[in-house]
Amino acid sequence: MGQWEDEFILDCGLRIADWRWRVEVQGNVRGSKRSLTIRNPQSAIRILAALWRLNLAEELQYRANFVASVLGTFFWIGTALLTLAVFFSHATRLGGWDYWEVVVLLGVFNALTGVIEAVLRPGIGRLAGEVRNGGLDLVLAKPVDAQAFVSFRRLDIWRLSDVVLGLTLAGYALHRLGHTPSLAQLAAFALALASAAVVVYALWVALMSLAFWFVSVENLSVLFDAVYEGARYPVSAYPEALRFLFVYLIPIAWTTTIPASALTGRLRPEIGLAAALVAGTALALSRLVWRAALKRYTGASG
Amino acid sequence: MPPAITADRLSKTFKVKVRDPGLKGALRALLKPRYRDVHAVRDVTFAIEPGEIVGFLGPNGAGKTTTLKMLAGLLYPTSGRVAVAGFAPWGGGPAFKRRIALVLGNRQQLVWDLPPEETFQLNRAIYDIAEPDYRERLAELVALLDLGDLLQKPVRQLSLGERMKCELAAALLHRPPILFLDEPTLGLDVTAQEAIRRFLTQYRERYGATVLLTSHYMQDVTALASRVLIINRGRLLYDGALAALVARISRTKRIELVLADGVTREVLAGFGDVKEFRFPNAVLEVPREDAATTSARLLAALPVADLSIEDPPIEDVIRAAFAGGIELDEP
Repeated sequence: MGQWEDEFILDCGLRIADWRWRVEVQGNVRGSKRSLTIRNPQSAIRILAALWRLNLAEELQYRANFVASVLGTFFWIGTALLTLAVFFSHATRLGGWDYWEVVVLLGVFNALTGVIEAVLRPGIGRLAGEVRNGGLDLVLAKPVDAQAFVSFRRLDIWRLSDVVLGLTLAGYALHRLGHTPSLAQLAAFALALASAAVVVYALWVALMSLAFWFVSVENLSVLFDAVYEGARYPVSAYPEALRFLFVYLIPIAWTTTIPASALTGRLRPEIGLAAALVAGTALALSRLVWRAALKRYTGASG
Repeated sequence: MPPAITADRLSKTFKVKVRDPGLKGALRALLKPRYRDVHAVRDVTFAIEPGEIVGFLGPNGAGKTTTLKMLAGLLYPTSGRVAVAGFAPWGGGPAFKRRIALVLGNRQQLVWDLPPEETFQLNRAIYDIAEPDYRERLAELVALLDLGDLLQKPVRQLSLGERMKCELAAALLHRPPILFLDEPTLGLDVTAQEAIRRFLTQYRERYGATVLLTSHYMQDVTALASRVLIINRGRLLYDGALAALVARISRTKRIELVLADGVTREVLAGFGDVKEFRFPNAVLEVPREDAATTSARLLAALPVADLSIEDPPIEDVIRAAFAGGIELDEP
């Protein structure tokens, strides 16, 4: 997670997208030399470090946030486990998964929620408002890649506790399952989890880019939350049509079901590579959407 | 040397949703949206040489900010060509962005809860400024803008004027050769406005920067710019020296008088249009060509202590130009 992931995204994914972009725009844009700012990982890290340092300086003023965040997570996990317990008192399997397998998935879900709340919601989640009120102006005037800057400008560090707690929960559930993952399974899990974060990120970018078309959209992140709720349970628990939707169209199956399956050995380790491929594709597509969206930016009139 | 900025038949059209008022209108807009094209900027052509300070004038909604944002690469032009410092701004990328500064009077980049220096540090990272350069430039900006101990105070505790000074410093740390300033003195008091004008003049003298600025305050433009671009309803109406514009379109001159005893408003009205009368001061407006003869008649007929002939205030001239839709030929 953290910087490694950012670099991964910025370095690999955006390059693919950028290359495609180049092919697309040839002859389309007059004399424009497209180049990615954060091509050089060092400068990306330098800027991120400066941004996050700034954040930390702001956040450290509010230590209570940390306590509230951890308490909130415990409460959330408690409720989720209780719901599961109620369900499993009537059934032994959910979509072919038994109780502790679903808890592994819940742990993954919670870890990803941590990434969303720590980075995405406070960063790119504010985009819709900024498109409406012109707050994006000053970002666009800077020699940075606007998408990367907007996406990773904030790090609400306390919410990363969700990542730790989620992974701990997954580990505990794994222990209760009596399953010790092999090295290959662990590697596949790591890759699938990183890919899951990328897929979630791509979904946010695509969704938030809609703000450029529908300027009056109040809160696009609610739309994400509604869809992402579907990732709380294994995708096999859903009817055929929904399953297709979640695997191929709105790829939230890749965010929790796949990493959890890789960890428990339900799927073979090669799935990690497939996950990476899906993540790369999703990222490239989201980049294209972003590029198209930016052209429609009008700023707040003035 | 090629021009620093060129715009060639630059246009920007926005699609705006048309909505009738009321619930019925809202419903219709939802089901069957209708759009209208708004031509914010139409066929605007100009060139600005390196080192020039050019004032951009026009009423609200004339297209000043839209043009500025196209020049800065924020907005994608609908048609036409732009070149700034040899780059096409849209897609000019970081190399282009490093050469410009954009200051918007109604946007702020300083982090609200932290001292300005934190934002400066962020910009140092973004623009990749070496530590010694940063120190040197910051010291210079602090001296020129008289920032003193403001750098350590949280931004929320600064006054509007102090904040704008810090915004300028933040925007100029990378020492850009081209400055786009949109209403940099918006809402500031006279002292702060003057401080900012003085700073901009000094900055340009030191670094030969090209400056394009919009402002509501005519003093900003008269004090800084020798050349103005006047834009209204998206079209460029005038491009040239301010003084030449006044001479061309103002048909009147002002005779400012200091009177001795016994002169009433009624008596003065016989000589021309009385604009102000606050004894012993009075202002008379007369046709341009009659200014000399009327002055002579005034001096002969009335006890005048002092008399001077002036051009009308530029605000009035420009306002008249916009209101009357006067056609201004390109010089």
